[in-house]
Amino acid sequence: MSGDLDHMAGDLELRYRRALRLLPRYYRDHWEEDMVSAFLESSLTGDPDEDEFILEFSRPSWPELASVAALAVRLYLGGTGAPRRYLAWGQAVRRAVLAVLLLRTVLVLGSFVFLAWTHHLLGWLPASPAPVASVVTSPLVRGPLPAPLNLTLATSGGAIETAPWYALGYAYIVVYVALVLGRYRTAKLFAVLAAGPDLVYLLQLWLADHQPQQIGPWVGWILFSLVPVLALAAFHRDAPPVARRPWLLALPAGFILVTVPSLALEVYGHARWVPGYPGLGCILVAVACLVQAARARSRRTDDSGAWSLALILLAAAFGIMRIAFLAGQLHDSFLRTGGVIQLVVLAAAVALVALDGARAQGAMPPPRVGYPSA
Amino acid sequence: MTWQAFFVLTALADGPRHGYGIVREVAELSQGKVQLKIGSLYGLLDRLSSDRLIEPDRDEPHDGRLRRYYRLTRDGWGALEQEADLRAATAHVARAKLSLPRPELGLPRPDLGFPRPETAG
Repeated sequence: MSGDLDHMAGDLELRYRRALRLLPRYYRDHWEEDMVSAFLESSLTGDPDEDEFILEFSRPSWPELASVAALAVRLYLGGTGAPRRYLAWGQAVRRAVLAVLLLRTVLVLGSFVFLAWTHHLLGWLPASPAPVASVVTSPLVRGPLPAPLNLTLATSGGAIETAPWYALGYAYIVVYVALVLGRYRTAKLFAVLAAGPDLVYLLQLWLADHQPQQIGPWVGWILFSLVPVLALAAFHRDAPPVARRPWLLALPAGFILVTVPSLALEVYGHARWVPGYPGLGCILVAVACLVQAARARSRRTDDSGAWSLALILLAAAFGIMRIAFLAGQLHDSFLRTGGVIQLVVLAAAVALVALDGARAQGAMPPPRVGYPSA
Repeated sequence: MTWQAFFVLTALADGPRHGYGIVREVAELSQGKVQLKIGSLYGLLDRLSSDRLIEPDRDEPHDGRLRRYYRLTRDGWGALEQEADLRAATAHVARAKLSLPRPELGLPRPDLGFPRPETAG
């Protein structure tokens, strides 16, 4: 390596600088020139002809680009010591992911109760009608329950055999607990496993040509399964530890809040009033927005703004899911009206925390001590 | 402390280095096993400088560009010393355990170049 970089800098440098635009401005201001210089030096061989060719025609390697992308994720979803705006977004994404995983865990735990009820193990409750459309391991997987782990999903076009590995959906319990306990690697591994059953279920429906026109379940899988897995990247080494006690206590609280009313509605013959997970998400986020709006009013802190941002993210996700599912329910006036009401309530509630969320991004603080001057 | 951070601090232990100099030194120290990408390196430098374990030393012109050199701070020196002691102690224990006879594995006792611990029988 050597060569007159001054004269030879070409497309390789431009391409690398383009990749560096992924990084936040404050970071580039401090590190960009240094990164470009180190990158170019690491790319050259010392042979002037070869180096000229490399500088003019080569591109940054995929691993190199991946390292920049990973750095960008870590910076935008900031952790301890990050500028206020990026810390707020980092905390917001981490809380939104925790909230979605909490809901998934509650739904999975709730499925045990429904299983017990439909198998007449809860003798003190009225017997369930058969077959019962219940939630099994995943809110996407609904159907009669011949056996807990060996399902046959009856659809209008016939039965779809499913496999015991649908039980992987129960991995959400491990994902949530591991995340709260700071075992991020375990959580990420199990999150990938847990997202599988829903996808297979949707692919089965698609391949069997059942309800091919409905986009709701696909949007649901993307926002309720895939995006949370990807967003686990926010739980990096610099992320502040999760507050264990409140998030662990939220599990039994959520279970009671969600499962008991759902079970009561099913038991007393009002199963139609049990909302699907997009509707349930809209209702829960709307309630959380009301609580947060009151909290932000009484005591404003930086932390409160991150909660508002988290609720805005959740409202966007569940709002999109609600709309996507609504598109397939327009023929049913009950579901249509319910869906529209949920959307209106959600929009009104999220407006209450929008200002607080915007404030959280606030002015950027001066660079941390230890940064070289730009 | 991660392996990568340990190698970067070790690379700076004998004097200031610039970004690519650190990449080369880390590759050499690790016998080619740790090949830092530039994005990973600057993520690490950012973290180490915010933890005040390293700091900028000087800028030097090279081929029409400025190379920025980094050096260990006093805290960085202490952290590296502590980590090096820990890793050396762990390696010593591992070596000592490996020197114990394990006939069930059919392994010969290696000559480790230091006295073996006393074993019963």
